[in-house]
This record gives sequence, structure tokens and C-alpha cells, in this order.
Amino acid sequence: MTADVVVAERVRVGTTRRSRRLRDAGWYLVLTAMAVITVFPFAWMFLTSIKGRTDQITSVPPQFFPNAPTIENYLKVWDTLPVVNYFLNSTTVAVATGLLNVLVAALAAYPLAKMRFKGREAVFYVLLATLIVPAQLTYIPSFILAVNVFHYYDTLPALILPNIVSAFNIFLLRQAFRGVPNELLDAARVDGAGEWRIWWSIVLPIVRPSLAAVAIFTFVTSWNDFLWPSLMLHTPKGMTLPVGLAALQGFFASDFRSIAAGVTITVVPILLFFIVVQRYFVRGLAGAVKG
Amino acid sequence: MTTATAPRPTRLTSRRPTATPWLFLMPALVLLGIFVVYPIGAVVYYSLTDYDIVRPPVFVGLKNFAALLEDDTFRLALVHSFVYLLVTPILIALSVALAIVVNRKLRGIHIYRALYFVPAVSGSIAIGLSWRWLFDRSGFINSVLQSWGVIHEPIQWLATPSLVLPIAMLLTIWAGIGYYSVIFLAGLQNVPEELYDAARIDGASDFQKHWYVSIPALRPQIVFVGVISSLAALKVFDEIYVLTNRTGGVLHSGTTMVFYLWQQAFERSNAGYASAIAIALLVITLGFSIVNVRALERGNAEGDR
Repeated sequence: MTADVVVAERVRVGTTRRSRRLRDAGWYLVLTAMAVITVFPFAWMFLTSIKGRTDQITSVPPQFFPNAPTIENYLKVWDTLPVVNYFLNSTTVAVATGLLNVLVAALAAYPLAKMRFKGREAVFYVLLATLIVPAQLTYIPSFILAVNVFHYYDTLPALILPNIVSAFNIFLLRQAFRGVPNELLDAARVDGAGEWRIWWSIVLPIVRPSLAAVAIFTFVTSWNDFLWPSLMLHTPKGMTLPVGLAALQGFFASDFRSIAAGVTITVVPILLFFIVVQRYFVRGLAGAVKG
Repeated sequence: MTTATAPRPTRLTSRRPTATPWLFLMPALVLLGIFVVYPIGAVVYYSLTDYDIVRPPVFVGLKNFAALLEDDTFRLALVHSFVYLLVTPILIALSVALAIVVNRKLRGIHIYRALYFVPAVSGSIAIGLSWRWLFDRSGFINSVLQSWGVIHEPIQWLATPSLVLPIAMLLTIWAGIGYYSVIFLAGLQNVPEELYDAARIDGASDFQKHWYVSIPALRPQIVFVGVISSLAALKVFDEIYVLTNRTGGVLHSGTTMVFYLWQQAFERSNAGYASAIAIALLVITLGFSIVNVRALERGNAEGDR
């Protein structure tokens, strides 16, 4: 320990316990205020959704809590819209997109991280370029492809197929693959393992946390995707949650109790999912920056 | 991103060129070809045609681009998209500040961190609807302001042209702070504690400590967030769609480039004209990205020191 650090340690210990507690209380105040701002729109939505006809939703001053909490708004949404279909469609699309993304990105990332070959630089720059181009630019031709070539307009594959590959995910996994020691791969090659074998049984198991992070990130992005799905989906039963939710405004016009119930129904599942897989978000986001 | 540290070739793989790397790359390259490269080429072609998606495109040369220059709505959308970029510096400042706060070792800090992330996973349509409800004529914001006596008549927040864009930007900032602060938090946790100790010994205040230690240490993250949040700002659509109930706002007051592109292509069936808007967006994004990549390289170089 250097002398400086020792002094610093003494200074730190010197802070009295009471003043530290006071300062912590101040920080908790800041943190809580921020939490209220973050959560309030959701809380207000939820409170609106459980208010019955006798409760005010537009009064001055606002009425926060319902006198007679009710689930009738949820039942109304449930009866009017195929919520279960929305949910299943969203799940199918997001799971398929997440898994296929990991597969394609893990394949592409391996040679980019661990092999040297002619054209590597070129591939690298093509990927970088596709990363920059906004996806919305491609929607007009992709729409025409969907109708005329792939014939998957108004079906779920229309949401999955164009989103299977993401240059961002490839870069993220390439970064993770580069962390795998070359000695390990060489040892396997000496033992006669082919590249596919090495990819599958050595590289992939080592970078499993990164694979999970990519899958989960892609899952959430796909789950919340709106513009492209709204262009592709037409039949109510075939819609995903965000598309169905946007249609809610049309169905319930100014019935905010029901709109609020619809929003709550769509937010709860993804929040539960987030709570379960939270740590992967942090890992994924942290890993993205080393680029 | 640098390629300077490419792995050394192993003797076994470099002896002769093989198809193996290309087999690994094939699925990604084929899909990118179909869903990114081909569409960009097609958009360039469509932008030179009259096209309504139903009937075959008719070549008209640069007519669409000439029309763009005369189009007041396009000019407005362009201005709005550039104004929207203001969310980037605000987001960076606020999420760095939040990351510094949640980097403290306080009991229950994990719960706070998770809470701040909630808007980022909830989906833009859901949060957009909840904001629309807050800012409704008879919504919560007006109701509170009226009961405090700040205003006497409810304000038409989302029907007032000068307010639509600021509210959408506020929504983007609100939803992004928690997300980006996770990136900054990860960066902060790599800063050696000794640096802070040294600063403290030099008599730095809490604020100075972060200004001279945390912020410089976060440079790579700041550049990264700057790039991704500004690209996101140039592409903003969902917020506008929901907050203006798919109209783009009174007098196009919320219309951004991508919103106008969508409106022309899919509401008015002017796919040729919309493609010209797409090309304009492409040029702007590319120009912007060249600046960004330069900054990124510089940021990485300094981050690696």
C-alpha cells in the first residue's frame, strides 16, 4: 500500500458515522425521486386500469386510488381483442428471432475472430456499413419482397426472416470469441479436430454467457418491434402485442380505462422476463462498448 | 473498432486457402444480401421512379428529388430530425450523472438500478400510450397543474404544434436514461479506486473528483452512447406515431424523416417519392456516421492507452 492510499484510508475512516448516514439519506432521496419519475407513468396506467365507472379518471385534483377496484376493464379488453393470440405470436417471433440470431451471428463471428483469410477486411466493412444503415430505409423493397417474392405478407415468418441477421450481434460475439485463447484452438487442431468441431465443442461453450446475452437482447428487441410488424400484419389474430396494442386506440377511442388495461397486459409479461434475466442485460450492454 | 490485433494465423489453417471461413459466414452474408444490400439498391432505383407499389415503377429521373427540394413538409421533417438529435447530449449528461449516483454502495441499490431500466424493456408503444394518457387534455398533468392553480384551462399538450416534438424528445430521454446509465455504470466499475483516492488527497471535491476522474475514464462509453443514441434519434418513429395518434401532429408538428417516409410510402402509396426521402436519410446517416466513426476510433485509441 502506498503512503497516499494509507492517508486516504484515514481520511475516509475519519468521516463520522452520523454525517455519512445523513449523506446516504440524501442519496436515497435523489434515487427515490428518480424512481418515482421512472415508474409513475406505469403506475398511473395501472391505477387507471383498475378504476370502475364510479371512480374518477379525469378529475381535478386527480384521484389516485380507486374506491372500488375492478377487473372489468381487463375483461373488456380480453373479450374484444385476441390477447392470447397476440401473446403467442409475440413469443413465437421473439424466441425464433433470438435463437436464429445467435446461431447466425455465432457462425459469422468465428472466422472473423479466429481465422485469417482473403476478403476478411471486406466482410468486416460490409458488416460495419449495414450497421449504420437505418432499417427503415429498407422497408419499401422488403415490403415488395414480402408480397411478391416470399409470399409471407401477414404471416409470422415475415417478422422473423428479415431479422435473423444483425451486424451488431456479430460484432458483439466476435469480441467475445477473441477472448478465447488461441492455444486452446491450436491444441484441438493438433488433435485433429476440424473447424466445425472446434466451433461447436470448444468456442461456443466458453462464450455461453455472451450467447445468452445476445439471445436475450434480440428477444426483447423483437418483442417490442413495431414499425415493420405493423406493415406486415393485417389479420387481427395474427398480430403481435405492440401491433395489437396500437390498434387498441382505434377500438376503445377515448375509453382510457380499457386502453390502460391493454397497456398493463402487454407490459407485465416482458417485465417479468426482464426480472428473471436482468443480469444478462448488464453483461450484454457492458460487453458492447469494448467494440 | 480495430482490426490491428487480428489473431496470428495458425499453421494448420493458413497453409492453403479454404472455403471454411466462407461457409461460416454464408448464412449471415446471404441474409444481409437479401434484406439489406438488395433493398438499398432497390431504393436507389425506386427513388428515380413513379411507383405506387401496385403498378410497376415508371422511370422519371430526378423528378422526386426536385420535388423534395420544393416540399415544405420534407424540410420540416428534416429540421425536426436534426432538432431531435438534441436528446443525445442531454441523455449522455443525465445518464452519466445517474450512473455516478447508482455506483454508490448503498443498500438496495440493485432494486433502484433495475427500476430505472424498466422503460427500456417495456416497448415504445406501451410507454407511448402511457405518456399520451398523462399528457391528454383531461390527463394527469393538466389535472395536477389545475389543482395547484398553475393553469386555469387545460393545455392541449399534444395538439399544440410547438409542444409535440419536445414531449416526444422528453419521452425518448426518460426512456433512455436507465438504459444508457447501465453502460456508463459498467465503465465506472472499471475505474481503479486509487484514482479517486489520489484525487481526494489532492483536495478534490466530490464534484471535481467525478469531473476529472470519472468523465475522462468514461470517454469510450460516452462516444459509444453518442453514436447509438444519435443514430436512434435520426430514426425516431414509434414515439411520434403513438403520441400523435399516427397523424404526425397538427401541421406536421411532430413529423420526422422516418415518419414522413412511412407516411408517403404506406399511407399515401408514394413509394417512389418515399424512396427519395429514404435516400436523403441514407446520405445524412452516412455523413453523420463518418463523423461518428472518426470519434469512435479516437475514443478507442484513448481508451486503450
